[in-house]
Amino acid sequence: MDNEHSKERIDTEGDKQVIRGGGLMGGGDSGPPTLVDVKDGKITRIRPLSYEMEYDRKHFNVWKMEARGKTLEPPMRASVGPIGLAYKKRVYSKNRVRYPLKRVDWDPSGERNTHNRGKSKYVRISWDEAAELVASELKRVGTTYGPSAVFSQADMHGESKHLSPSHGCANRLLSLLGGYTVQMRNLDSWEGQHWGAKHVWGCEPVGEMMPAANLYPDIAENGELLLFWGCDPETTPHAIQGLFASRLCYWLTEIGLKSVYVCPDLNYGAAVHADKWIPILPNTDAALQLAIAHVWIMEGTYDKEYIATHSYGFEKFEDYVLGKEDGVPKTPEWASEKCGVPEWTIKALARDWANKVASLIHGNAGPAIRGPFSSEPARLEVMLLGMRGLGKPGVHQAKMIEWWFWREWNPIPYQGKIRPDLANFSEQVRPVDCHDPAQMIPPLYLGPHPEMRELTKLMDQPPLQVIPKCLVHDAILAPPISWWGLRSFHGPAEDQFNQYTYPAPGCSEIHMIWTDSPCWITCWNDSNTYIRALQEPSIECIVAQHPWLENDCLMADIILPVATRFEMLDIGNDLGSGVLTSLFLEEDCIDPVGESLCDFDVVAKIAEKLGLWHEYTHGKTMEEKQKLSFDASGMDQLISWEELKEKQYYVVPCSDEIKDQPPGLSEFANDPKKSPLTTPTGLLEYSSSALEKYFPDDPERPPVAHWIEKSESHDERLSSERTKEYPLLCMSNHPHWRMHAQGDDMTWNRECPTMKVKGPDGYLYEPVWVNTAEAASRGIAHGDIVKIYNERGIVLGGGYVTERLMPGVAYMDHGARWDPIIPGKLDRGGAINTITPHKITSKNATGMVVSGFLVEVEKVTDEEMAGWRRDYPEAFDRDYDLATGVSLSGWLKE
Amino acid sequence: MTKAFVIDVGRCCGCYNCQLACKDEYVDNDWTPYSKPQPDTGQFWMKLEENVCGTVPKVKMHYLPVLCNHCEDPACMRACQDNAIEKRDDGLVLIEPEKCTGCKDCMTACPYGVIYFNDELTLAQKCTGCAHLLDNGYKLPRCVEACPTDAITFGEEEELKDLIAGAVVLKPETGLRPNVYYRNIPGKFITGTVYDPVEREVIIGARCLLTSGGKLVETFTDTYGDFWFKDLAVGSYSVSVEAEGFKGKYFSALDTALDVNLGDIPLARK
Repeated sequence: MDNEHSKERIDTEGDKQVIRGGGLMGGGDSGPPTLVDVKDGKITRIRPLSYEMEYDRKHFNVWKMEARGKTLEPPMRASVGPIGLAYKKRVYSKNRVRYPLKRVDWDPSGERNTHNRGKSKYVRISWDEAAELVASELKRVGTTYGPSAVFSQADMHGESKHLSPSHGCANRLLSLLGGYTVQMRNLDSWEGQHWGAKHVWGCEPVGEMMPAANLYPDIAENGELLLFWGCDPETTPHAIQGLFASRLCYWLTEIGLKSVYVCPDLNYGAAVHADKWIPILPNTDAALQLAIAHVWIMEGTYDKEYIATHSYGFEKFEDYVLGKEDGVPKTPEWASEKCGVPEWTIKALARDWANKVASLIHGNAGPAIRGPFSSEPARLEVMLLGMRGLGKPGVHQAKMIEWWFWREWNPIPYQGKIRPDLANFSEQVRPVDCHDPAQMIPPLYLGPHPEMRELTKLMDQPPLQVIPKCLVHDAILAPPISWWGLRSFHGPAEDQFNQYTYPAPGCSEIHMIWTDSPCWITCWNDSNTYIRALQEPSIECIVAQHPWLENDCLMADIILPVATRFEMLDIGNDLGSGVLTSLFLEEDCIDPVGESLCDFDVVAKIAEKLGLWHEYTHGKTMEEKQKLSFDASGMDQLISWEELKEKQYYVVPCSDEIKDQPPGLSEFANDPKKSPLTTPTGLLEYSSSALEKYFPDDPERPPVAHWIEKSESHDERLSSERTKEYPLLCMSNHPHWRMHAQGDDMTWNRECPTMKVKGPDGYLYEPVWVNTAEAASRGIAHGDIVKIYNERGIVLGGGYVTERLMPGVAYMDHGARWDPIIPGKLDRGGAINTITPHKITSKNATGMVVSGFLVEVEKVTDEEMAGWRRDYPEAFDRDYDLATGVSLSGWLKE
Repeated sequence: MTKAFVIDVGRCCGCYNCQLACKDEYVDNDWTPYSKPQPDTGQFWMKLEENVCGTVPKVKMHYLPVLCNHCEDPACMRACQDNAIEKRDDGLVLIEPEKCTGCKDCMTACPYGVIYFNDELTLAQKCTGCAHLLDNGYKLPRCVEACPTDAITFGEEEELKDLIAGAVVLKPETGLRPNVYYRNIPGKFITGTVYDPVEREVIIGARCLLTSGGKLVETFTDTYGDFWFKDLAVGSYSVSVEAEGFKGKYFSALDTALDVNLGDIPLARK
């Protein structure tokens, strides 16, 4: 072909171009903007928005990081991640719910067959019938048991939508019906930091280092060593904020900082950025941390002056480290056996850290989040930072993710004094007893704009009672239950010393569940027990609203089809990609797939049946809400509505004032009396004064952070008797190829070798990583079907044999779609959370444990597979799309 | 004017954006006369190859984005009997879907394995350099535009000459003169950690000597007791490790067909 064809001017553009956020946070932040071409009502392509499409670069006043003669500036294209980029496959997935569905053997006026949830299929019903069914069940349950019998599961993370949020629309209607029981999300992104680190340094609201302003400019200028501790900058951020972390990591290496990765796997960040990889057994970080403290104390290489003026209780910590408390010095030799790092490498790390200006890098809290006793490593890390002069130049804890949280405290140079916060028209993770904005993630708070307040006023009525998300199965199977804290998503440390119960006084047990976040099975703790709980006859009705037929939807009695973000009008914002802050109108893109409706309208259908349509909607159109969101965002100070309509997006110019914000905890470092921490003493507490007061004898979370070998809650160490049957420690990370449960059906991503492993039967299995030597000793070859199991059940996976994982470990990401062979016992889809530990972080810390637990991995023999096929033919006969995996057609009754 | 791609493997973070953006452009989209739709799965006109090198804990990774090389002397074009493959003035090599009869001769001829077969349309298909977009005002192919680290550069060969200097092409021995250039593809490595088994500490500053065919390379262990000899050609090497006060060690006949991790090496005291 010569270039004559160029003269044909084939239509590459299509009918229209619209902007859509490329992130999947589920609220607050839409992610990096993408430009979407649409032709004949179909998405042609999705690509990164060029910021210069409508603006001159000069307008942006771009931020600069300058250090050691080099400069980092934001790229002029949005840094979109691989899920946002390939999202067409999510929109047009064969797994979409295309019309309302009813479980075939659920009869509200007869047999409900709750024991068949997860097994029986679905029939198509009309919207009218679906809305009528839900409305009449709400009325019946409310009349019979009271409004608190309705349980709303409505927390993050779904698609990032504002005008019709993925989560919490039902809460608006339930408030009008007299209230409800809310699922309170435990601090899953910050478990150890909330339940542990807060007792060392305060740092509300979640226990990670606050404030976090200007951290990376300071680190670039003053730092020498970056400790990526359980941190994967190439995985955790990309589905919500894109890939700018990648560029930042390359730059930090380029200017001479050394990156040491401490993690069981050569994770995706370590694979390309690590100068040194130190493999460590899952959830044994506390041992390594204690040994480092031991080296520093013995060699006198910590910042004694700083400790003298900035800490409380250091001598008790020192006594424990040196063995004066329990007779066991926490030497490198002691730690090596527990954590799998050679003694000489532990000493080398301790000395390297002592000799260099170092920061801890997370994304989020890594090993501190989700193992048994996660409060301990999270606390110890802060204590080590304290011994290095926390808050001094280059000595911080910094994140590679969520650079938008907590307003102006942005570790990347923040982009301006005004930022486009967009309120949700629902509230997802709301506190029960108060409406204090300080307790909300700021952008999720329904702002002070008067008309917006009017629209959202009905949300002022608090839910009637709470069930912590990590205790839902216990609440259903063995009420009453009690727990500490979690009255709000991230309440203050003091709330950890309040005990609550379910049912609350005057409230009912729950009998109906309404979920818009149907991913409990694939993301939370011991979900095989959760599955059994949902099969209880006491749970009379389960309603799920979701765009895709996946995970908990398969336990529902009624499923309502939801439109994706591409099928509705919206307004979006990019607060956290780290590149440039922007606001964009997300104009109509394509028609809803099938009979799906946006979440807000799904609930409106039911409100209509209950005679509450106007109270629920206030009669506002999407266009009116879009304009109102803009008005309430504060952006009208910077751009007119008319200009925004014309250009479709606005980039907030960077502010030069950002340089003045003191980095991190530098003010505390400079003068702890003048700028104290929020701990009871105002100091770094090496023995927690609050724990001394409230839980002085807690063996699982003592006042001084400890190494906990085993306890009444957990027995998940390699020293356990259980290792005779389950000799491997299972690590389950934030999934590389999903935003938790989101995106498992994307056919192009599923072709990537780390996303799925094709079994000999053609099924795309979720990878189970095992080290070459462990695989050899078990006769496992790459691509074999394997089973990963313990007392709690069996999960099938695809053997991924690699040197990217140390021996002694099995690694499987969470979030793969549940494809039950025996619901509650055996899963083919790779939902590893079905076999995670049941108990919470520790008895007084209400967090979940979903990594760092014992398993065994074996090759599945042909005989075993044939046996399952024979005994559970219905599971294997379900229609299955080789490319997509679990599909709608597999669950429809013919 | 010839277009060229320059790919810096040292800046490829392995995100797969290039592979996915390519599929986004061609699956389900008909760009005739440039290209017919690509099947949903199974074809990778831009394909990321993963390379995991070494053994725990000395493991490095790099990714290699592989696409049609748009050769100066395309073997596929010579092999095609239907005149369906042409090299455009801008250097891009295209299979014209309306002329291709699906004989697969081009697939046999291409030494790079970058041509795929569409069973449904009986058609050979491959990277077009997004010619349909370039002809309509786009500056960059989709894979380049989607790259978050600027690891892939595209433009006029003349303008990219500084980047091309020192770059390599895949399988240069084919003589087909690819217009896709690679920078920083790592060579093989030999590594180890040196320690004192009595004090149970790493030995810092141990002198490590690599020899191969009379050539000598010297390095010293770092703060973790590690030494690295990087970017080695495949061949046979020997390594000696010496530290003051310790008996040295000598490793011979090290074959770098695979990367070599000598593990944690204890040195006995003299």
